[in-house]
Amino acid sequence: MDTSSPAAFVNGGLLRMHVGRKVRTVIQVTRSDAGSVMGKSTDGCQLVVRGSPPAPLTSYVEVIGVAENENSIRAELWTNFGDSFDASNYDQLCQLANGELKHLFL
Amino acid sequence: METIIPEYEIIGNPKLPTGSEPEANKSMPNNNLLEPSTRSTNNRYSAPAPANKAQSFQPTIQPAYQPPPNYKIQGPIMKNEAPARIIPIAALNPYQGRWAIKARVTAKGDLRRYNNARGDGKVFSFDLLDSDGGEIRVTCFNAVVDRFYNVIEVGKVYLISKGSLKPAQKNFNHLKNEWEIFLESNSTVELCPDEDGSIPRQQFSFRPITEIESAENNSLLDVIGIVISVNPSVPILRKNGMETQRRILNLKDASGKSVELTLWGDFCNKEGQKLQEMVDSGLFPVLAVKAGKVNDFNGKSVGTISSTQLFIDPDCPEAQGLRAWFESGGRNTASISISKELMPGGSKNEIRKTLTQIKDEGLGRSDKPDWVTAKATVVFIKTDNFCYTACPLMVGDRQCNKKVTQSGNKRWLCDRCNQEFEECDYRYLLQVQIEDHTGLTWVTAFQEAGEEILGCSAKEMYLLKYELQDDTRFGEIIRSRLFHQYLFRLKIKEELYGDEQRVKITVVKVDKVNYSAESRYLLDMVTKNFPNRKQF
Repeated sequence: MDTSSPAAFVNGGLLRMHVGRKVRTVIQVTRSDAGSVMGKSTDGCQLVVRGSPPAPLTSYVEVIGVAENENSIRAELWTNFGDSFDASNYDQLCQLANGELKHLFL
Repeated sequence: METIIPEYEIIGNPKLPTGSEPEANKSMPNNNLLEPSTRSTNNRYSAPAPANKAQSFQPTIQPAYQPPPNYKIQGPIMKNEAPARIIPIAALNPYQGRWAIKARVTAKGDLRRYNNARGDGKVFSFDLLDSDGGEIRVTCFNAVVDRFYNVIEVGKVYLISKGSLKPAQKNFNHLKNEWEIFLESNSTVELCPDEDGSIPRQQFSFRPITEIESAENNSLLDVIGIVISVNPSVPILRKNGMETQRRILNLKDASGKSVELTLWGDFCNKEGQKLQEMVDSGLFPVLAVKAGKVNDFNGKSVGTISSTQLFIDPDCPEAQGLRAWFESGGRNTASISISKELMPGGSKNEIRKTLTQIKDEGLGRSDKPDWVTAKATVVFIKTDNFCYTACPLMVGDRQCNKKVTQSGNKRWLCDRCNQEFEECDYRYLLQVQIEDHTGLTWVTAFQEAGEEILGCSAKEMYLLKYELQDDTRFGEIIRSRLFHQYLFRLKIKEELYGDEQRVKITVVKVDKVNYSAESRYLLDMVTKNFPNRKQF
């Protein structure tokens, strides 16, 4: 994986700002197939993540990869985040990381 | 009685009738006609013809306790001996002039002997209450004690006059009066045999138990409550080496709070014993306490002092109200004790500080301790003296926990409970160093906090180190507990150690960090200082 640039923290709404670039996000898995996972972003959007998810998959998973378009990511790295996760905290993080505190992240 | 002034001059122009009446009372001024003294220039009065020399006038000797003399306008004006008017106690002051008060004795102190630079002495005091509700303390020294000690009885009404008024000693005298009466050799104390219904027997100003929580340490107050528990009397060794008795009771009132009342000395055997019997037979008596002393050692409690008075089931409206409350549900309402150390503020108003803020902001230096929360990591645990041998016996509803000493072979003795037993309890007294991103500090953790930090009981650790002497395992456990991060609830208070003031930090509670809540807290901290930003 290309580690030269940091992955931007995104939720569903912020994904469009980074199309073609490296992003990271946490989704709540709604459907899991071979080759792709459907999940709900921390701001309630439906996202598609392509790649090979780990097995087994917990409810929440973090994916790091490249944003293909405003609602899909091609993931290179998957990390199980367990079955309980505070989505609102993460969402606030994403907003700060792309807003007031962008200079701290990218 | 002796004549103090054998001769003296006449002042002014006393008008004397010619002729005189025989006086039955030999203490009356004698009826000699007078001649003006050499100083007076007034020649209105004629001297009796045959007298060539000025007659000297014998002063009257007024014995105390005699009925007031019959006053006629003859004889010199010596002192105005008319009975002083009865005035309210509240009007007494040193500039008053002649005064008399009529009041009931509400308390009589013990006769106390003392020895100072001027020699031996004795003193006793009693408290008075009059029909206006005014109260004042009266004190007698030495010879005056002999005159009045046996005369004064609690509950009786007396007419008192000719004492001196001095500022009240607030350390001992809790009555609401800035003055105190000191009786002297010429003071008068007369028993009033007729029962004066206008003078109450006692005056109380009861405070609800919930108000005691905010009362000042060492202040005196009155309280009334239902006795819900009585503990047995235990002998206590006082600091001066003397032994006394102590009993702990719990009182509950309609404020929803309960308070611990400590009886000392005779109170244990008299009222304490009576209350014990009443409670043991299923009763819940009302107890009124007059002049109990507030103690803030553990939360707030009340203790008796020598001038305290206890009244079991008194016949006063507050007692009746309390009984009515108790019988109609008060009995079953749970009450919170103000005599347990409570942490002020729950999780709602926690104050978060960093470790250097404790020093920089001078926390713990005011009268009351400061309570803060700090997120920090355990970096060092002192393994010498990490626990102490504690008394496992119950005192009321709490474990005694006082440090016990070894007595004989394999037995332990507790000074407070005055009992020996085989098995003692082990409780943590941990010195721990904690650190955060700003700095580090030493804190002391007691039992519950210690168990959270070490993850096992003090007894287990004690046995491991001293009985099994397994230093390896002991060391492993200690090391495994380092570098864990917690939210520490700290009590910070400056205390005197020898002759220097040191800030002592005690861990009251240890909580594992809840990451979700902590993140929210941090997000809040980050965003609240943004200028002109909407909060998320």
